[in-house]
Amino acid sequence: MGAVGAIFQKELRVEFRNKQTIVTYLLLAFLILTSFRFAFSSFDKTATEIAAPVLWITIFFAGMFSLTPIYKREVDESTKEGLLLAPIPHSAVYVGKLLASLLVVFGLELFTLMLFFVFFPYDLPNMAALMTVLVLGTLGFVALGSIISAISSQLSQAGVMLMVLTIPVLLFTVVLSAVSATSEIFGGAGLDDINQEVRFLAVFALVFIATGYLLIDFILEA
Amino acid sequence: MELFGRIRLAFILISAVLVLNGIFLAMIWVPPHETMGDVQRIFYFHVASAWIAYVAFIVTFATSIVYMKTKDLKWDNWAVSSAEIGVVFTTLAILTGPMWARAIWGEFWRWEDLKLLMTLVLWLVFIAYLALRANVQSRRSKATLAAVFSVIGMLCIPLSFAANRIWTQSHPTVIASDQGEIVTSGMVPALIVAVFAMTFLYIALLLLRVGAAKLQDRADELKLKVGD
Repeated sequence: MGAVGAIFQKELRVEFRNKQTIVTYLLLAFLILTSFRFAFSSFDKTATEIAAPVLWITIFFAGMFSLTPIYKREVDESTKEGLLLAPIPHSAVYVGKLLASLLVVFGLELFTLMLFFVFFPYDLPNMAALMTVLVLGTLGFVALGSIISAISSQLSQAGVMLMVLTIPVLLFTVVLSAVSATSEIFGGAGLDDINQEVRFLAVFALVFIATGYLLIDFILEA
Repeated sequence: MELFGRIRLAFILISAVLVLNGIFLAMIWVPPHETMGDVQRIFYFHVASAWIAYVAFIVTFATSIVYMKTKDLKWDNWAVSSAEIGVVFTTLAILTGPMWARAIWGEFWRWEDLKLLMTLVLWLVFIAYLALRANVQSRRSKATLAAVFSVIGMLCIPLSFAANRIWTQSHPTVIASDQGEIVTSGMVPALIVAVFAMTFLYIALLLLRVGAAKLQDRADELKLKVGD
């Protein structure tokens, strides 16, 4: 537990000491949303159909960019050997980094959500349901994304490869469920109406947190 | 000739006979379908390719697991060979499907159809697997990282299936594939031969590809020795 905490603190310290990275993710989220706002400028903005795709695509792409460096920087800064030699289990490294990136992505999402309601004039939907889908969807995609980030940190073109490896797995799982649940929420549904999607997102998150916990040894020692 | 080579030759010959036989049955012997006509003949190649797509994927997954257990590069050769052939057959299935669908359904692709989406996921995962391998330098890392990704890909299949089931419940659609159920005489034997032909062809190609991978490893070893 102490090891997880130490990794978690180290990650956040690295992330926030170098302020330009966080600012870049926020800027990217802002730019993606702005692009959508202009691309859809001829649409009826009160139509709720475009809400869910716009929100989730912004979150997925900005979020995935923030996941690229979490293992890559250990390789770039030659700190990976030190991390592997430290007398802590590798799974603690995975969990610590996962928690830190979850915190960063949640921050990114709150920022995106605020901007979203400024750019697209929707009435506030059922916020409890929206936050549930957002949190569970994020858990799933960050759990998977950080495993793939560990893999892609050892590949050439790490940034592109993260996307190439993550999107096929996310496409018909998290993207599909999260977008369809969010569409229903913007259409007026509550938590009860989307409980199947919510359960699926929870299962997905659990499966990939467990996978990362079990397979991180193989990845880091490859 | 060593045993491996003999088995390989046997599979190549059997698959050649079966493939020619399968083409004859599908193209000439079976009468045109009662409702779909000649377009239906693509069905034999389509179903057989899709079957190999799934088989190849399972073989890649299984041999990857064995590799992770044993750390023997031999198993990684089987995994990558099966994946490469799998991409070819999945591509064939994905290309022949829309040819039939355009004639019968009037559109190339149906985004509501579970079977189509699962094949698409399989294809994307396979391609990502090969893209991963292309971007690693060291032989060991390549094998290990690819094995880990194939486990993730395998998990993705049932999860995609479940998510699609939930999604189609709230977006009810007609099950499109019901139209193909009318069986004309001769369809079943022709299909069985086609499936066997593709299976033998897959095994023959797999043995050839594994042989090539083995030679590649041997060449790399020799290069290292010469370098010393």
